[in-house]
Amino acid sequence: MRGPAVVLLPLFVLCSCDGPQSVLDPAGRDAEVLATLFWVMLAGAVVLWVALNGLIHFVTRIAPRPLNARAAEALIIGGGVVVPVILLSILLAYALNDMPRQRDKGEGLRVEVTGHQFWWRVAYWPEGAETPIVTANEVRLPTGQRSEITLNAERVIHSFWIPALGGKTDMIPGRETRMSLEPTRPGEYRGQCTEFCGESHAYMAFGAVVMEPEAFEEWLEREAAPAVEPATEKARRGAALFLSEGCGGCHAVRGTAAEGQVGPDLTHLASRVSLAAGILPMTEDALRNWVRDPAEFKPGVEMPGYDHLSEDELSSMAAYLGGLE
Amino acid sequence: MTEETPFRHESIWHMIAAPTVWTLHFAIIYAITAVECSKIGTPDLARLSILGLTVLALALICWIAWRAWVQWDYLDDQDYVHDKPTVEARREFLGHAGFLLSIASAIGVIFVAMPALFIETCL
Repeated sequence: MRGPAVVLLPLFVLCSCDGPQSVLDPAGRDAEVLATLFWVMLAGAVVLWVALNGLIHFVTRIAPRPLNARAAEALIIGGGVVVPVILLSILLAYALNDMPRQRDKGEGLRVEVTGHQFWWRVAYWPEGAETPIVTANEVRLPTGQRSEITLNAERVIHSFWIPALGGKTDMIPGRETRMSLEPTRPGEYRGQCTEFCGESHAYMAFGAVVMEPEAFEEWLEREAAPAVEPATEKARRGAALFLSEGCGGCHAVRGTAAEGQVGPDLTHLASRVSLAAGILPMTEDALRNWVRDPAEFKPGVEMPGYDHLSEDELSSMAAYLGGLE
Repeated sequence: MTEETPFRHESIWHMIAAPTVWTLHFAIIYAITAVECSKIGTPDLARLSILGLTVLALALICWIAWRAWVQWDYLDDQDYVHDKPTVEARREFLGHAGFLLSIASAIGVIFVAMPALFIETCL
């Protein structure tokens, strides 16, 4: 019984490889190609593994007698040189054949992503746009078209990767790199920085949302609009605190006096799927804890803590930020 | 053969000539592809250079393999055990090893050049 269990165990492990950040659960054209590539390579490796171990089993258990010189020579040259060369050549040609498609040009929408320590500035350039629609820590893409992604980095090297949608590309300070993505299945996925960039590299993620083209257009229109006015008395207190505490020196909330460009744009913060670049839920509790002490969640973060504010003031601030839909 | 090149039984340089060609092929095309892509921006010239260098490297490796084959002198005595402390065994061992390394190097050169066949852009 042990034999089948050992063979089947990896299959169960692989079957559980779905979820928002899995290369084996593709939601985009490029990721499909990469997933297929993985399965083909795995199949090739399994064939080699079974053949090699079968051979070892054969010569040690089934027929443990010396082979004649000619048969041994055929086995060594055939099994050791000819078969691996043919197999590797086929697999290499197959993999290389898929590579140019990973570099196709995007059409229409261009998304410009800049890696910062430890967050992402995201600027949308719809076709013909003269100024971008700026947001942060979330990349939204429409289905049914190949969007161009241009990548920059502010100070250190980062790498941009949404496993469910495609391959990864490095972001290098002073140099623009590019890729393109063609999502096929709407849903919420997750991206992650994949080049060590400092203390909180592991906490530098982002939400990746794929939408139907019409829904995307509507979202982009909302995103381009200025921030909504605070709706409650508490939120209005929070808005005043936001400005008096100097938050606007780093953060922009379009439509208000806050115009800072150092940190993430917060104009529509509350409509994002996560807080603090993919590491906290977008709730007022999380907002309050984040503003009080960002370094608790993200060591090395540039934003200072606001623990000199009272709990009441922090709650007002969270109410304001949580209303920025 | 021994009369022509009396030192071959004690020179490992002949044995590693083919892997050396493979190494140079790899290093040179790595460098020229990087330079041509950054200075010109299109890889057409780089792909041509890779083609030329690959043909050259394979021709060199074929020649080295032929010399090693002759040094091994297999057809003479069909000998591929070279365990005697003699000049002949050393010469044939080094030829044998050089010949096998030539095959590995030729495969290496082809695999290194293959991406240029498929990839048509610099970035």
